[in-house]
Amino acid sequence: MSVAGTLALAAAESLGAVASESAVGAAPAFIGEAADWEFVFRNADYLGVGALLTIGLTVASILLGFLVGFPAGAVEVYGDGSLKRAVSVAGVVLRGTPIVVILIVMYFVVGVPQINLGVASVSSAVTAGILGLGLRSAAYQSQIFRAALSSVDAGQLEAGRSIGLSRFEAVRHVVVPQALRRSLPGFQNEFTIVLKDTSIVFAIGLAELLTRGYDLFSEQTTAVLEVILFISAIYFVLTFTTNRALDRLGDRYAIPEGESA
Amino acid sequence: MSDDDFLRVADVSKWYGDEQVLEDVSFEMDRGDVTVLIGPSGSGKSTMLRCVNRLAEAQEGSILLDGEEVLSPDLDVDDLRREVGMVFQGFNLFAHLSARGNVALGPRRVLGLSDADAGERAEEQLDRVGLADQLDSYPAELSGGQKQRVGIARALAMEPKLMLFDEPTSALDPELIGEVLEVMHGLVDEGMTMLVVTHEMSFAREVADEVVFLDEGRVVERGPPDQLFERPDEERTGRFLERIASHD
Amino acid sequence: MASATRPTTVRERVAESDRSVGRLLLVAAGALFWGWLVVSWVNRWVGGVLVPVGQPLVPPGAVEATLAGVPGLAAYAADAAFVVELTPEFARGTWLTVVITAVSLGLGFVIAVPLAVTRVYGRVSAWVSLAYTELLRGTPLLAQLFVLYYGLNLASYVPGALSGVFARNVVWVAILGFTLNGAAYQAEYIRGALESVEEGQITAGRAIGLSKLETIYYVVLPQGLRYAIPSWTNEFVYLIKYSSLAAFITVPELYYRADQIASETFRYTLIFVLTGVMYLALVLTASKVMARVEGAVAIPGLGAERGE
Ligand SMILES: Nc1ncnc2c1ncn2[C@@H]1O[C@H](COP(=O)(O)OP(=O)(O)OP(=O)(O)O)[C@@H](O)[C@H]1O
Ligand SMILES: [Mg+2]
Repeated sequence: MSVAGTLALAAAESLGAVASESAVGAAPAFIGEAADWEFVFRNADYLGVGALLTIGLTVASILLGFLVGFPAGAVEVYGDGSLKRAVSVAGVVLRGTPIVVILIVMYFVVGVPQINLGVASVSSAVTAGILGLGLRSAAYQSQIFRAALSSVDAGQLEAGRSIGLSRFEAVRHVVVPQALRRSLPGFQNEFTIVLKDTSIVFAIGLAELLTRGYDLFSEQTTAVLEVILFISAIYFVLTFTTNRALDRLGDRYAIPEGESA
Repeated sequence: MSDDDFLRVADVSKWYGDEQVLEDVSFEMDRGDVTVLIGPSGSGKSTMLRCVNRLAEAQEGSILLDGEEVLSPDLDVDDLRREVGMVFQGFNLFAHLSARGNVALGPRRVLGLSDADAGERAEEQLDRVGLADQLDSYPAELSGGQKQRVGIARALAMEPKLMLFDEPTSALDPELIGEVLEVMHGLVDEGMTMLVVTHEMSFAREVADEVVFLDEGRVVERGPPDQLFERPDEERTGRFLERIASHD
Repeated sequence: MASATRPTTVRERVAESDRSVGRLLLVAAGALFWGWLVVSWVNRWVGGVLVPVGQPLVPPGAVEATLAGVPGLAAYAADAAFVVELTPEFARGTWLTVVITAVSLGLGFVIAVPLAVTRVYGRVSAWVSLAYTELLRGTPLLAQLFVLYYGLNLASYVPGALSGVFARNVVWVAILGFTLNGAAYQAEYIRGALESVEEGQITAGRAIGLSKLETIYYVVLPQGLRYAIPSWTNEFVYLIKYSSLAAFITVPELYYRADQIASETFRYTLIFVLTGVMYLALVLTASKVMARVEGAVAIPGLGAERGE
């Protein structure tokens, strides 16, 4: 296993030194150097692949977060005893620890192996990235669902029971559909947080958008600002479109009158 | 229509967008008068009241208060509001301040009194409305009737020369209405000039010098309460009064 | 309430005592954690009166010897001594983490209030404020730090008055980044809170003769800021955690130092788990303190009732 975490920091160190030295010597080149923009566009493909990786990482992490977080939220509302306590402690730990620490612990400590799918193999950095971002997201999603589930009026559950549904069925068919709709705004927020935080897999050397940007501007240090602005713009477009798309979804599935709760 | 009217509302018209909500409304009050505005929901009573302290802007007409043109663009509206107190249907007490704090805020920040003086004035006014024992209660800890009395004290603390009341008892449970009306009766006795929107017909009958009936933004009829309530000239007035009475 | 007089079952009582023991342990751990931090910091400032600067408060050798004598713990004695040896570095890093977080949070708040007020009550400025918050919330914090550090090379432009406050000027770049970013998030929270203040409150303020600005200042903000405390706590916690990203622009805060130690000693597991625990302790402290603050400034009927 390589020392990627420390590698990233060490690289940052040396590059920073280069940056400040050059500044002392000559005035830094500001945005608008044609050559630098040309450099950015020449490498647009390279960054594009990074953007795809970012999207893939986001989707995978959100999915993992949902698969773990939804049941966890339900346990926090309807469960009891040691299971409930274990879930809430795990949640507190995951929500109270910086994502960079979670990622690095996944990478070094859990020692995620390389997964071979036959056609392609998933590197351990990718697995660690998805696990770290996904489980952290699960901890937040569980809170979103917990709040949504408990915001559904207790009378709804009773009404469900009164027509002969079991407790589980009443939760499943009456409470959950309402709660899922109510959790959309929180979910939207979570989605963009995960999207932005994929950039932090930089710490374990996963070559997504930000890491690729970093590699590029380390190569041509006059183009630093151009490269970062370019990738920031890509991130912005991604978060913006995600938000608008989820807004649409929210409007489509909104329950009339349900909002003002 | 004499020149020394204390308040003279003349031909006031107001539109919200294309919708005209006040049309040539006119009436006058002398100092110490009590005028009651009545009319069906949406007839423009609140809007008329709010034009007097410029919370709403009338587009046409004139409102003279103590000889000064209220609608003049040069008028400092904050100065105007200092002299015109307003009591709201929904109380609108400042939720983060105690009863004392609610009443003291105006004297402190608008009149520039010291903290001590503003506090003292607040205590006097709260005493005046019978709330000397609730100085430190927050709005959420007061009953509706108590809230409205704090609202009245808050307006009085500015020592206004005219008081506007917009349905001060409509949001109250029936058993709490009395305590607020009692305070208002007291103000009448002290000679306060009051312009009141209310559905409390017995109050209007007892204290009003004039009752103005508004419908669809127009003054349909106005006159002393005895005449307007017993022998209305207009059919619409009679129908409105019947409907109100049947609700009591 | 009827339930108050209901006899508690044995199971409930056990759970209850469990919980209070847990709480006691947590309080003890918190006291130990902050005691250690504060004593270490003070020791460093006064030039090492207690122990030489850079030395642990208790000698690692003694810890190892003591634990080795305890049956069952002997196996961990060497690890414990190793951890004790690292404590000075951890305390130093934590100091910077705390300072960066506190300063950025405070400065961010100062910017956020006008941002939120213009967003709600402004005209043209509302759009400027919207653009600012959308841009900063729509791009990763790490990318923003890179812009400031690598892109604009701000570390070499730190004004004379500020340079020298920290061992490295780059700390100011991190503070600037967290301030600008945090202001955008805080402004969103405050905006939401301002919008939840009822319209009638403003009408009433205007009706007693307060100007628009005065009404915002004396009536809307005192209520809105109280509503904002819970989400503001989130922002506080968020900053503590994300201050770790400063490591990537070479700020020697907690994560940076942990990473250095890890790469020198190769004890990744132990060190990063320990780092996680340190952050967790900071985060838990912050939320407890904020809950206290919320209780202290609570007003009957404000905020609390919205929570139900
Ligand atoms: N801010 C506003 N914007 C647009 N229209 C308004 C506004 N305020 C009031 N209106 C309209 O003006 C008309 C008069 O409203 P107003 O509140 O003055 O009536 P009102 O007599 O006080 O009724 P109520 O007895 O229900 O309080 C109504 O048709 C109302 O819809
Ligand atoms: Mg009205």
